[in-house]
Amino acid sequence: MRPLEGRKVICCVGSGGVGKTTTAAALALAAAMEGKRALVLTIDPARRLANSLGLKELGNEETRIDPRHFAEAKLSPRGEMWAMMLNLKSAWDELVRRDARSPQQADAILANKIYQSLSTAMAGSLEYIAMEKVNELYSSGRFDVIVLDTPPTSNALDFLHAPDRVLDVLDNNAMRLVLGPMLKAGRVGFRLLAVPSGLVLRTLARFTGSDFLRDLAQFMMAFEGMYEGFKDRASKVKALLSSSRTGFVLVTSPNPLITQEALFFHRALQADGIRTAAVVVNRVQRDPRRHGGPDNVAALKEALQLAQIKDQNGFSERLCETLTEQAVLADLDRREIEKLRATLQGVPLFTVPRLRKDVHDLAGLWQIDGYLGGE
Amino acid sequence: MPALLDRRLVVVTGKGGTGKSTISAAVALAAARRGKKVLVCEVVAKERVADFFGRPPSGTQIRELVPNLYSVHVRPREAMREYALMILKYETLYRLAFENAAARYFLTAAPSLAEIVMLGKVFWHASREMERGRLRWDMVVLDAPATGHGLTFLTVPEVFLRLVSEGPLARDMRIMQSVLADPARCSVCIVTLPEEMPANEAIDLDRALRQHQFPVGPLFLNAAFTSRFSVAELASVTRGGPLLTAAGEAADSHESRASLSGHYEGVLRESVARELVKVPFLFERSFGAHAIEKVAHAIEGVL
Repeated sequence: MRPLEGRKVICCVGSGGVGKTTTAAALALAAAMEGKRALVLTIDPARRLANSLGLKELGNEETRIDPRHFAEAKLSPRGEMWAMMLNLKSAWDELVRRDARSPQQADAILANKIYQSLSTAMAGSLEYIAMEKVNELYSSGRFDVIVLDTPPTSNALDFLHAPDRVLDVLDNNAMRLVLGPMLKAGRVGFRLLAVPSGLVLRTLARFTGSDFLRDLAQFMMAFEGMYEGFKDRASKVKALLSSSRTGFVLVTSPNPLITQEALFFHRALQADGIRTAAVVVNRVQRDPRRHGGPDNVAALKEALQLAQIKDQNGFSERLCETLTEQAVLADLDRREIEKLRATLQGVPLFTVPRLRKDVHDLAGLWQIDGYLGGE
Repeated sequence: MPALLDRRLVVVTGKGGTGKSTISAAVALAAARRGKKVLVCEVVAKERVADFFGRPPSGTQIRELVPNLYSVHVRPREAMREYALMILKYETLYRLAFENAAARYFLTAAPSLAEIVMLGKVFWHASREMERGRLRWDMVVLDAPATGHGLTFLTVPEVFLRLVSEGPLARDMRIMQSVLADPARCSVCIVTLPEEMPANEAIDLDRALRQHQFPVGPLFLNAAFTSRFSVAELASVTRGGPLLTAAGEAADSHESRASLSGHYEGVLRESVARELVKVPFLFERSFGAHAIEKVAHAIEGVL
């Protein structure tokens, strides 16, 4: 894809279920075909796609796609394609083990209930860890291009503001102040003294009980000394994402609700000073009327007769109904795409038609690349 | 076991973009048609159901959309405030405790506090009595968030009780948990599409919902395609003029979707032990009351 030339990091963003993973994999494949060492970092790929890329049982390890798979698809890449499936929990645990000053500190963090919630369920956590990983892989210099398939559930703001959110959970001055007495008591080891005091804390404790606040105080203590490292990396990630080395690709389908979300994402990127590099609209209905001619029952009856095909069991009616239905879908899709084009003035837009089969191997991805080449 | 339309709380969940709001609205409409007073609670960021019926958004005020069918948008901030006030009684105390930087932090770090108060609000509606012991709503339909988050939403009481065992929230969570586990009062439905990812996700979701012992509601297979042409018919229209060629391509495309649809229907029937309710794909130029009507009609018979 021309708008992505020279980019080191490609972020595919958009709502869930629009073919983000497939688009990300297709972009990585295109780069590999051109001679690059390309990695696709995916979160939750469809099983068949994951299987066919050989990603079945792999954790947080980057894996080279077996050249055999390329041979099967009759493709001869000049570069290499790598893939990696990101597991939230183990990526977090890895990070903690690497960053902790001692194994004891790591253990204390891993055992904390707040950390467990952070590393498995907290909003923004997956997005954050994905960005950490991108930054780590980018800094390693091992890949020419890294394509990130963003988490399926996240919305625009979750994604862009994930580092801030996570950093805030790791260290928050206001909370530190409120928890002050508990933190001190915890530090000298008098666990029994660690009871919530102060009006704010006592009021909060009425909702959740004081155990939770104790966990929170322990969590903050456990992370002590590691915060700076997180902060430092987060600012590097931010710099990388907003630089010209990174290209954001908005992936969408022609569904009005989904394009709305895509436009929202586009504006959120803009607000953060990031330009959308390209838009990919997947699953666009082909227009059955592109051959012209009337598509009413009478015309179809005549055409069937001319071709000497029997018009039984309402064949002509069924054909007409099908043509009409698909024309409706094609009109709706065209309308949405025009709206997108008008709003995203100047952003290159690529459309991929609805394919006859689900894409679940390299050959299918290459077929998609055919649509991502020219605008 | 009571039929779906006789449950007090119907939860509609599934992958994003599968049509949860559509199915929620259609189930509610079907119930309203049978004389039930129904409230649809929407808990995701954007309210949609009122718009289906051509009405302005309900917001946090309950509004009647069509006779007997009401909707409300449950938002975390307002729900949090209402809930906190119920417990704290005093606005000043609420402001002091919640409108400060520490509390904002607390709201992020506390496991799913937003979900807790939103679920609390839905339950408050579901168990609200009018007078003489009569419930205000015969049925509350919860249009839940998408799969991953939806499961988080429903398991919030469970997760919360693991972390916190005392206080008024814990008490309320226990009550919610008991309703969410009671097949006489509650039903959790899944919405999916005949496509690979949504179908796989529905299978995973079904498994997870069973693990947590939520009452098993139907599986709605939305936007299903049905085969319309025989193989011989398809083969016959590969020749002829441009119109016939176009018709042949359209028919072929229809059949390829119908065959995918049939394939995933089979996969779902095999892997998910729930009543499967097929909702046909709708070819509508605009999606409104007319479309919801059609969906309600399609599912009415099996509810």
